[in-house]
Amino acid sequence: MRSSSVLLASVLALLPLNSVVLAAALPKIDFPADSPVDLLSADYGESNESARGGALLLDFHAALSLRNAGQRKIRGITLVVSAQDVTPGGKGSVTITSLDVGPQETFPVRIDLRLLRPLQASSSVPVQIGLDGVLFDDLSFYGPDKLSSRRTMALAEWEARRDRRYFKSVLASGGPERLRQEMLESLTHQADRPSLDVQVVRGGRATNFEPEKQLQFAFLHLPDSPVEPVDGMARIAGNEARAPRLEVKNRSERAIRYLEVGWIVHDQTGRDFLAGSVPAELNLAPGQQSRIFENATLKFPQLGSQPLSIESMTGFVSSVEFADGTLWIPTRGDLDSPQLQRVMAPSDEEQRLARIYRKKGLAALVAELNKF
Amino acid sequence: MKHLEQSRIALLAGGELGRVERWLAQRHIARCAECRAEFAGFCLAANDLRELAEVMPELPNNLNWNRLSQEITGNVRVGLAAGEAIALFDKPAPSKPRFGWNAALVILGATLVFGIAFWTSLPPQQAEHLLASLKRIRTERIGTVIRSSAATPEEAVVEASSSGIQVKENGRTLSLMQPRSDGATVSISMQGSAGVRFVDADTGQVTTNKVYYAEQ
Repeated sequence: MRSSSVLLASVLALLPLNSVVLAAALPKIDFPADSPVDLLSADYGESNESARGGALLLDFHAALSLRNAGQRKIRGITLVVSAQDVTPGGKGSVTITSLDVGPQETFPVRIDLRLLRPLQASSSVPVQIGLDGVLFDDLSFYGPDKLSSRRTMALAEWEARRDRRYFKSVLASGGPERLRQEMLESLTHQADRPSLDVQVVRGGRATNFEPEKQLQFAFLHLPDSPVEPVDGMARIAGNEARAPRLEVKNRSERAIRYLEVGWIVHDQTGRDFLAGSVPAELNLAPGQQSRIFENATLKFPQLGSQPLSIESMTGFVSSVEFADGTLWIPTRGDLDSPQLQRVMAPSDEEQRLARIYRKKGLAALVAELNKF
Repeated sequence: MKHLEQSRIALLAGGELGRVERWLAQRHIARCAECRAEFAGFCLAANDLRELAEVMPELPNNLNWNRLSQEITGNVRVGLAAGEAIALFDKPAPSKPRFGWNAALVILGATLVFGIAFWTSLPPQQAEHLLASLKRIRTERIGTVIRSSAATPEEAVVEASSSGIQVKENGRTLSLMQPRSDGATVSISMQGSAGVRFVDADTGQVTTNKVYYAEQ
């Protein structure tokens, strides 16, 4: 591992004397020696540390400047963030996708981390930042991939390519005015989408006050999906849903090693929310059927004065990875189904393109589409 | 002859004594009628509880389990406090050991009756919760007498909201906040991760922050 201690020392020297960040709180940034990205600089300017009752709050803001030290274009990067003294059982990651960074070009990565720990705990809070992976434009990958960032970034890249293709075809068939209309619809869709705060706890129920019932999944069958959900249920108690069990069938001619089922919940007032997803690493041969089980509990907080009560659930296959590493994601047509339209956000790439349109106008959007 | 401590007899009846201690206790019980009777009482009580647990009927759904848990906690604590008080009262009069044994048996019987009352009206899915509560009390109150494994560490909780995502563990929190952005999409995976996706308003970059459990 190549240590960036020299760089950190220089950063420390540049920090103003009245900085509220303790030296002990500065992170240790380690990239592998053969990493295709270099750390050029790190700025922790707005970071601070304060006492909150019996706890110590560390607001850590890092603005890193990285350089593509390799020969291929970078499409995505995932950095892993951990603080062993604070949460030995948990870690975080920051992933940037839809990048277009050529050799020797630089790009920024922002990390906004907050750590809360008891005051009496040890004084040092060693935050570690490392590299989990880099995705290149040919979909090749570099990195330890401990957080499955290869799959995460590849899925994002597939979505980005699908949506760029779609908007290019809109431009080709309907001209700039049709593209403008699509962007306005996308911005409206983003604003209308309902959002929900969710907690996930490993294992059994978080509370025991509500009687529990078993609820069957209804399924949205996407025509091109290589996986067919056959059956499914979860245990519901008030605002908690736990232990989902799903039965899926591989209806493609290729073996499948990963799939994800999106989980939509409907509450007592008729509202729909995308509650979460049930991922599964498996080995599913063509035509084979398999069961998926997750021993975890989803908990939804109150919506205003009324507690959310789950009345029914819908599942749909949201992504599939074949054994050969290729991926399947729903088509734009699949996503146009009214139920998915209500709950699914536009893809990351669609949001990025809509932002370019909103900030810089139609000409900039067309130029961006033509870059790829 | 010096009699065995009551806690030691209880551990023997529950099969929780180590090899050497068990051998020594069994050797003493073989020669001491009083301790043998005490041991038989503990064994009977344990058997009764086991049998009752097997034939537990269903309870009505509207029971307040939190209140029941508090009540049983309170009663066990009262029983323990009474036992301690009786033990203190009993100390200066070692010539009358029967009073202490009788009091202990009364408390044991009362606890047994109380336990039976709950067990008979306990639905199976609630048994686990009640047992966990009792285990916690045992660890907190008499953990030095009855050997117990360490308390289970607090479960890690992963949370996602539009303001950020976090993993909480033993009162400590690691959060990834989202900077100024044009709307965020929150996602939760049942494998134990939470994510928030947004387009950074300053850089225009598509960013996905995630927090995970350790096993990920």
